[in-house]
Amino acid sequence: MITSRRRFLKTAALSGASLVIGFDGRGLLQATNASSAGSFKPNGWVCINSDGTVILTIGKCEMGQGVRTSLAMILAEELEAEWTRIKLLQAKPSADSDLGTGGSDSMASSWKPLRQAGAAAREMLITAAATRWKVDRGSCKALHGAIEHSGSGRRLDYGSLVAEAAKVQLPENPPLKNARDFKIIGRRTARIDGPDIVSGKARFGIDIKIPGMLYASLERPPFSGAKVKNLQEDKARAVSDVRSVIKLPRGIAVLANSTWAAIKGRAALAVEWSEPPKDAFDSDAHLKKLETASRETGFVTRKEEPPPGTSAITRTIDATYHYPFYAHAPVETMNCVADVRENRCTIWAPTQAPERLQKQVAQLLGIAPADVDVNITLIGGGFGRRLGVDYAVEAADISRAAKAPIQLLWSRADDMKQGHFQAASVHYLSAGFDVQGVPLAWKHTKAGSFHNISPLDPKEVRDAAWYQDWSWGCYDVPYAFPAIQTAYVAVDLPVKHGPWRSVFAPSSVFARECFIDEVAQARDVDPLAFRLEMLKGADVIKAGSTTVDRRRLRRVLETVRDKSAWNAASISQGHGRGVACNAYAGRTYIAYVVDVSIDHENNVHVERVVAAVDCGLVVNPVGVEQQMEGGIIWGLSSALKGEITFDGGKAQQSSFADFAVAHMRDTPAIEVHIIDSDAPQPFGMGEPPVPPIVPAIANAIFSASGTRIRRLPFRPEQLKEGAA
Amino acid sequence: MSKIDFTVNGARHVVEADDDTPLLWLIRDNLGLTGTKFGCGVGVCGACTVLENGKAVRACQVPASAASSRSFVTIEGLSPDVSHPCQRAWLEEEVAQCGYCQAGMIMTACGLLQQHPDPSDELIDNVMSDSVCRCGTYPRMRKAIRRAANEMRTKNP
Repeated sequence: MITSRRRFLKTAALSGASLVIGFDGRGLLQATNASSAGSFKPNGWVCINSDGTVILTIGKCEMGQGVRTSLAMILAEELEAEWTRIKLLQAKPSADSDLGTGGSDSMASSWKPLRQAGAAAREMLITAAATRWKVDRGSCKALHGAIEHSGSGRRLDYGSLVAEAAKVQLPENPPLKNARDFKIIGRRTARIDGPDIVSGKARFGIDIKIPGMLYASLERPPFSGAKVKNLQEDKARAVSDVRSVIKLPRGIAVLANSTWAAIKGRAALAVEWSEPPKDAFDSDAHLKKLETASRETGFVTRKEEPPPGTSAITRTIDATYHYPFYAHAPVETMNCVADVRENRCTIWAPTQAPERLQKQVAQLLGIAPADVDVNITLIGGGFGRRLGVDYAVEAADISRAAKAPIQLLWSRADDMKQGHFQAASVHYLSAGFDVQGVPLAWKHTKAGSFHNISPLDPKEVRDAAWYQDWSWGCYDVPYAFPAIQTAYVAVDLPVKHGPWRSVFAPSSVFARECFIDEVAQARDVDPLAFRLEMLKGADVIKAGSTTVDRRRLRRVLETVRDKSAWNAASISQGHGRGVACNAYAGRTYIAYVVDVSIDHENNVHVERVVAAVDCGLVVNPVGVEQQMEGGIIWGLSSALKGEITFDGGKAQQSSFADFAVAHMRDTPAIEVHIIDSDAPQPFGMGEPPVPPIVPAIANAIFSASGTRIRRLPFRPEQLKEGAA
Repeated sequence: MSKIDFTVNGARHVVEADDDTPLLWLIRDNLGLTGTKFGCGVGVCGACTVLENGKAVRACQVPASAASSRSFVTIEGLSPDVSHPCQRAWLEEEVAQCGYCQAGMIMTACGLLQQHPDPSDELIDNVMSDSVCRCGTYPRMRKAIRRAANEMRTKNP
């Protein structure tokens, strides 16, 4: 959601040799002096040194979305900085900071404060130069990291001006550049950390090593309430290089001089856990429970009554869509380095939630959050998993018990079995038609579960807006049915589950975009033309806190229709085409046309994806394309590859061998069309590409086979059975 | 514990390790070369891929006892200055997203191109499909491998 926070700019002349401007989430534009530099802990700051280097402290976490590059581009644009002279640092969390990275929010929330910080610095440098030259500041301009005087052609590098610029009054409302003058924003720009990545220098959480550090592996209860029946502690201690075995309420930690010794020592423990109770969590039973729940009225998240005089419904169709559990399965498993000392702690972690991490570690240790020093590393895949901070709390607990700095590394099986899974849900949809076959009513009930990776506030008002937040893609249906009812039914889920790439949207958008195809089929009309027809009427609609701009949605649909030659293409036997679209939180609009083929063994191959995206103003086109490709492939995995199932309270999968994900050979030809948007600001791209690709694939399978896919992930047997 | 005598990036190393210690952890923990990544430990993700005589090898599947007297190249040894054709092609095609699996992918691609200087698209897909990238960089990797192949053939026809 768009936050309308006022920013807070501060300057601090740290040593007289730098100009520093910061911004955080609160308060007014405000200048401070060197004396307050010690408490200067904004979300990010710009520091220009006397040697002309520009250091941008990035207030968001990099997990592959390219945020370190795109945020630097925004700053460099307003600052008129030389791109090659920008260096990046990672911010650290504090009581006031908001470095959390999720919800595809970084671009939207950083856009204005970064521009203002860059513009303020530029204006202060101009004033400093004009003062030194004793000329009108209107005759000076910033260009390529220097101030130029138009009358005399004199030129001063930023570095030579910072000491004076730091003393200039911080402008309250620095003028921002006009979009048509942008030189860096909108330009295809190589990732700042690209060379480090391809040379192996990039440092992820797992790469952190500190002096005296021990390596830890933690054997955890396989299900909630499991008890140790037996273990071979001596055998673990006998493994060479194992230093100690520590029993904690959260599990048994083996500490060693090397990663391998810790892994081997843990295996040597041969822990025998108690049997799960008969009623332990089982995903099949849970899906049945969800299906029953999907028939309840639930909490109505949106209700639109048909206008008086609307004809009577004489025909109804309905369908039930099943959505399974998925793991995030980033290639870098959960890990953390923790060094707990008396009354303080230092953490190095690949995290998307630095403040949450700081608070929870402080709570564990009984110290103040300010005494937990959190260092954010590069993240080897986030996808929402690292919004949970369980692995950091574990690491701090082990370090405290071991009285030594430790690195905790999860095995691949730990990562699969102890995930914060994307929760299963069941969707019940129905549509009503009048005697002429005109669609009049849309009903969508989602039965799902609230995230439980952090406790919900019991005092929070559970109103429509609150329930809407759990059902993105459901309540914000963009189609113009005269009557609309969407609802949410909550079902308890005793296993850990949390946000995944696209948070809550994928299941709802899968059900919605497949069922709108079923409505088109019932009408015997083209599903793409039908969507466009149903996006007529008011151009902008409000659905709860979300505003959906149907013009932008129509535009992406029309683009994929034209670029894929939707109307002209003839489809051969064994092939199919599907379409789907989505407005992600009313911000980023995406449509896909997908071509699939089905082989003799009923395996589905996604051959080609034609995509159109309107994410507002484009900062880095390379980043937009990368996220589109990545989101398509992520969604393809969830449509056609692995799922997580539970039996006896335990996730059954343990590696990429049994939780399959897309590989290169599964990758379709992808064609991305970026809309020249009239939106004045950028919106996020990490998540929006995911939700609509899954239904587009399912709709293409229907087109190829005549079978509706209402249960994910797709399995060839579904075609043999002829029904979902 | 045994003495393991092996060569990495042209430098000979003698380390003390249990015979079953995977080469991956010798490289990462003993030698401190962290470019080679852990992803699964069971040989199904490819993040730990290194080269031996131009062939791609999964470092998590080579026990220390079998590593003795062999010679390996890790991502750090590919070039001193990001100048290897695969590294350059990776940058040109803007492949990386989070970057975590990319060293393994680059080493796998290097192995492929050493064995097959002019691989078909199908061969590229087959060889690369034993490795996992969760960010979904596959389309750009395909292009980068073709680009690197072209460059290497032009240089060494």
